[in-house]
Formats: sequence, C-alpha cells, structure tokens
Amino acid sequence: MAVTIRRLEEFDDVGSFDCGDQPLNNYLKQHAWTNQQKSSIGVTYVAIEESAPRAVLGYFTLATSSVPRDSLPKKYVRGLPPYDLPLILLARLAVDTRFAGKGLGDALIMEAFKITLRVAGEVGCRCMITDAYRDRVAWYARYGFIPIEGAQKVSPQKMFLDVRTIRAALKSGSAQE
Amino acid sequence: MRAAVKDKLKNAAPSPKVRKSKFQADLAPSEDSIVRTLKAELEMTSNTDFLSDALALFRWAVSERKRGHIIVSESSTGERKILVLPRLERVAPEVALPHVDIHWNERELESLAALASGQPAQPTKALIRAMRH
Repeated sequence: MAVTIRRLEEFDDVGSFDCGDQPLNNYLKQHAWTNQQKSSIGVTYVAIEESAPRAVLGYFTLATSSVPRDSLPKKYVRGLPPYDLPLILLARLAVDTRFAGKGLGDALIMEAFKITLRVAGEVGCRCMITDAYRDRVAWYARYGFIPIEGAQKVSPQKMFLDVRTIRAALKSGSAQE
Repeated sequence: MRAAVKDKLKNAAPSPKVRKSKFQADLAPSEDSIVRTLKAELEMTSNTDFLSDALALFRWAVSERKRGHIIVSESSTGERKILVLPRLERVAPEVALPHVDIHWNERELESLAALASGQPAQPTKALIRAMRH
C-alpha cells in the first residue's frame, strides 16, 4: 500500500471515513476543512493511497499554542527561557477502521513528528502536547509521550513530548543508518 | 581673520551626510494612473512619501508572512478575504500552523512546567524507529 500524507484539500473524500469514533469522524467531515481554511484553528494532514488519491484513510490535526510564562509555577520558570512556552498541539489522530493494524497510525504520527521539527526549526517550539483518549495512552507512551498530571479521570489525558527528545531520536536514527 | 575662518572650515571634518538613494521606475500608463489616484486618495503630494508608506506596508506584510501569519481583510458582515501574493509566499515558512488556546488547570501547569524545565527524556525505541523512516 503506497500511502502519501499531505494537507487536507477541499475536494478530498471524507464522507466515507469511519474510525469508529463519532467525534473524530465528525471533526473530519464537518470541521477540518473549515478550521483549516477559514477559521485558522488547525491544519489537518491526511493519509491517502496513490490508487485513490481523494479517499482519506487517516488524518491528524496540528496547531500551535503557548503557555504564558507568568502562569507557570515560579519554582520551575528558572529552568525555562524567559518567554511564553511555545508548543505544538497534536489535536487529533485517527485511522479508518478498514486500515487499522496496518501501521497507518505509526506513519501519521511519524509525519507529525517531522512537521513538529520543521516548525520548531522555523518558528520555535519546546514540546508537543496531545490530548489522548484514556485507552490510547499506552500507544502514545510508546513514542515517549509522558502523561501530564492533573487531568480529571473522565477527560482525555494530556501528554507531553519534548522537542529535544524528538531531535535526539532523529540524530540517533540517522547514526544507526 | 577671514582667511583663518576659511582654513578652519577647510580643516574641519566633513559633516556626515545621509546618503539618499534615488529610486526610478518605469511605470505602464495604467500603473502610473493607479499611483496618481492613490496619491490623490491619500492626500499625498510627493512620490517620496508615497514610496515611503508603500515600503512600510510591504515591510509589514513580509514580516507577517515570515512569521507564518496570513493577511486577512474582514468586512463588517464577517466576510473574509486572504491576501495571496506569490512573492510574499516566498518568505512564508514551509509549515505554518494556526495558534489556539488550550485550557490548563493548575496541576497540569505544574506538571507541564516540571517536564519542560527538566532534562529531556531519552527517545524510546519506537520514536527512534519512526524518525529513521
């Protein structure tokens, strides 16, 4: 299966996408394009197969955010640069059930890491944050995401991945080749 | 006395002059007409002032696109139009992501600050494998 990951386009076929989770399906079908083009809330990247270049097999959405420095506890700010903390939010990641278990989720998150490094290089960002469903925490943890304490048990789990860790992985991966 | 003053002036260091560049452009009649109309609308008489303001505007547009921001006009009814100028896109970052606000509670902020201010974790095997592809 030759898969390409690119930005969502207006005429992509999102109607038949089904990842088994209604909010994630609805986001892609009803909000992703508007949020990307009109509202500037998030940019969605889609996985498509070359033989059917409009059918979306999986997607993820990214946005940037920042945490004001003065909202962080004083005992930690000394270890941080004297600016607001810039971060990248991996807002959503989903794979169509017909393609589950084929490594598509891994391919999507790999692309998200690469984009994160490019953004970090161009405009700066300290970490990646995701809001993981509770049953997906272990999947994100495989990639080094660390749970952020304090979320309510019924809410998605915020998770943290340092950009320096992603850089180290890139360096380590290149060294092994 | 007069000769002494002349000598003094001759020996004095020349006052630094700001070198001004001349700018000349060959405009098509239609463009010339646009410039004249704009100058009239903006109540400008000199080409220098016109160029100076145009330069300030262009400089601002370039700095906004460099930061990945889009330049939008919004009507009173909320209709938005995005300025797309091929030359401006040359300075835009390859990847531009919009900015959103995230709600954090106090405990989450403390945990985030502890993680961000500490040493980065070692990459996991899965992450190294992912970055190798």
